[in-house]
Amino acid sequence: MSTAIKIRDINKSYGSLQALADINLDIKKGEFFGLLGPNGAGKSTLIGILGGLVKKDSGSVTVLGKDIIKNYRETKKSLGIVPQEITFDPYFTVRETLEIHSGYFGIKDNDEKIDELLEALSLTDKSEIGPRQLSGGMKRRLLIAKALVHDPEIIVLDEPTAGVDVELRNSLWEYVISLNEEGKTIILTTHYLEEAEALCDRIAIMNKGKIVKVDSKENLINSIDKKLIKIQFADAAHGLDEELLEIDFNLKNNKREIEIETARQDLDKILKKINDLNLEIVDIDIESAKLEDVFIKLTNLGGDDN
Amino acid sequence: MTINSITFLSLVRREVARFTKVAIQTIFAPLISTGLYLIIFSYSFQNREVAGYGVPYISFIVPGLIMMSLIQNSFANTSSSLIGAKYNGIIIDFLLAPFSYIELSLGFMIGGMVRGLLVGTVTYLVSIYFYGGAIAHPLLALFFAVLVSSIFSLFGIIAGLWAEKFDHVSIFSNFFITPLTFLSGVFYSVKGLPGIWSEVSLFNPVFYMVDAVRFAFIGQSDISPYFSALIISSLAVFLLVVVTYLFKIGYKVKS
Repeated sequence: MSTAIKIRDINKSYGSLQALADINLDIKKGEFFGLLGPNGAGKSTLIGILGGLVKKDSGSVTVLGKDIIKNYRETKKSLGIVPQEITFDPYFTVRETLEIHSGYFGIKDNDEKIDELLEALSLTDKSEIGPRQLSGGMKRRLLIAKALVHDPEIIVLDEPTAGVDVELRNSLWEYVISLNEEGKTIILTTHYLEEAEALCDRIAIMNKGKIVKVDSKENLINSIDKKLIKIQFADAAHGLDEELLEIDFNLKNNKREIEIETARQDLDKILKKINDLNLEIVDIDIESAKLEDVFIKLTNLGGDDN
Repeated sequence: MTINSITFLSLVRREVARFTKVAIQTIFAPLISTGLYLIIFSYSFQNREVAGYGVPYISFIVPGLIMMSLIQNSFANTSSSLIGAKYNGIIIDFLLAPFSYIELSLGFMIGGMVRGLLVGTVTYLVSIYFYGGAIAHPLLALFFAVLVSSIFSLFGIIAGLWAEKFDHVSIFSNFFITPLTFLSGVFYSVKGLPGIWSEVSLFNPVFYMVDAVRFAFIGQSDISPYFSALIISSLAVFLLVVVTYLFKIGYKVKS
């Protein structure tokens, strides 16, 4: 798989604030890549550098092998960036906005693509009205349509679903997944970690201007040694205490359900102990760590500064 | 320096459509003040002539009034477009799209020129009623009008990029453009100014523009129209280079 974006030694400061420090990152062509991090981690600054909105202090970025400074016209045609902040041109209707935007990217008579986007983003019935009359979610969808109107190879979505209701969010993801299946590279930043977990192949976690981890979603999740065992008994588990099991647990549902959080290597031992209790088991569920656990651990959001 | 015609023309289209959608405010409103000047001056000075020119006063001031409309509207279009784009956040549309820096400069500039020339033309059509509409050198008048509108469109781009709020644009307008225009000889002949004031006027670039257009209209001017053409052309090229450079460095639009 060839490289869509290659970022090398990027630094960016705003006065004494180091927004990005020695960022190195490769994003492969066709990937669904997640860029996660708390507010102020530097995600939008990095995207801004990619799109030419922010001037980097040092380092280099290539998009499909072309340098973003030397070959900026070509790299910009390859990128479709949905910015985080909602912006709109009040003078033009939705359709006019998309026509003008197509023109900016050198495309004339782009009605077919515009109609496709309006349909996919549920804006067809709003195409002849001005953006002031659109709701917040519709304005955000218009931003997405603008970013896709030139059919870019690489699509960057910076918090695309903020303010978009659940139904439309699902239809948006269906459309983005279909674009990814067509071979488009997708880069996503989102605060909804479950979205990133469901959609992304690989994820970079940023914190305080640095990339603290880049790996496949599975490897990231497996890096947290946590298993949550949930067992339902047929009858109440009277007489079950912590000494007997030698581990902390929660009893729920009138002692008919037990929840145990443990490390992977203790699974076998615990399940044997449960089995030795001779209680009739109705159901067993073992959950692995979630992306959220990884995120909290790597960004110290749990409050542990060490 | 490359220009993609579709990309470039889309920006021009956007700039022109932006002001034509509010034509009452952008094209017809400026006619009110110019129309009032024409009515007042044609009535007040109907039998006066300007010393050394031998033409009715109204014929003398019409080229200057057309220039005033053209200057103010070319400037207003580009400056308001850019500060509005910053305010609405759509400035990023111009940064994310594959515009070359010269395309951005020329695209915004031509948008401003179209508005300036349109308002200037309508002003001229109205002035026909007051002075008859004769133009001694029509092609030269058009040439100078195009140059002057380009200069103030470019100047408006600089103001729009520099400004952080709408008030800042009015600083340019109130403290530079209006005084320079009124002191450029729109309403009087600079040759007739007392003392050193006629020499001081030579430092005012708008004087060359008004004087050159006056030559094109009535065949007479305070200084050589060729010298004025040289000054105006040089200024237009200089500002185009400056504006293109400002877009290249992302002056006040890239962080």
